[in-house]
Amino acid sequence: MSDEVKIGVVSCSGEDCLGGTISRLATRKMLDEIRPDETVTICLPLFLAGGAEERGFAEAYPTLAVDGCDKLCAKRATEKYSGKVSDAFDVSSLIGKEAAESKPLSTRYLTEEHQEMVNKVAKEIRIRFENILSDYYKNAAQRIKESGNASNCGCGCTCGK
Amino acid sequence: MSKKVKVIPCSGMGKVHGLVAREAALKVVSELCPADAETVCLAYIVTGDDEAKEKIEGAPCLTLDGCPKMCAAKNVELAGGIVKKGYRVVDIFKGHRGVKPGNATALTEEGWLLVDELADKVKENVLELGKEG
Repeated sequence: MSDEVKIGVVSCSGEDCLGGTISRLATRKMLDEIRPDETVTICLPLFLAGGAEERGFAEAYPTLAVDGCDKLCAKRATEKYSGKVSDAFDVSSLIGKEAAESKPLSTRYLTEEHQEMVNKVAKEIRIRFENILSDYYKNAAQRIKESGNASNCGCGCTCGK
Repeated sequence: MSKKVKVIPCSGMGKVHGLVAREAALKVVSELCPADAETVCLAYIVTGDDEAKEKIEGAPCLTLDGCPKMCAAKNVELAGGIVKKGYRVVDIFKGHRGVKPGNATALTEEGWLLVDELADKVKENVLELGKEG
């Protein structure tokens, strides 16, 4: 098992509502503070504006989509252009639909209440992140076990002897 | 469709440039020209949903991109928006060598000054487009 496994966290960063600001800041918290060495992200619009490398993101990394509202743009765009996500959630399930769909907010005017929302969403990201990581390791262990069963000769091949 | 000018930033996640673009766009639509400009979530445009396309198809748009990949401008064009001008945050930075603007999470005072400078430029353009009707 590689120690270098990284999990992709893709936020919508929606500009049209508060949920987008919260999804963005909570994702940044993962990158900056919570799991900086194991978290990667991508700018969502790069799936269309970028190249094959960008579109391969969800194939390269188990990915969690974090959306600001129930349009689920991050999840749907990732799955449309890149690959199936491992998990996804909408921040309105945590901070409430009314708050999530309220006016967008500049980080210049963040209040303690907003910061609490960010912390709450970041906590949820961390929980789901750890579940994805755990599943990844379980699957990797299973694959190793299965390849071990197929190869009895001890050389690591799959001749079945 | 609303007649307001659409101001659409990339909101790039990896570098401070994306945050400067995002904050400048929010300042224009929320504070400087709320009657003449509005934004549309770029992520929604990226989905290619018909409803998202309807919001910008044929509409005058100003895009604010953090990096030369120009994600906002490209995605808006693909969705049928008319990019009247595509701003690049890297160009704003060129006039302020050595500036320490912060990072993709939070801006410093210097970073906010860059936001204000870009927002003022965009505001002028919004008002000009408004006169064109």
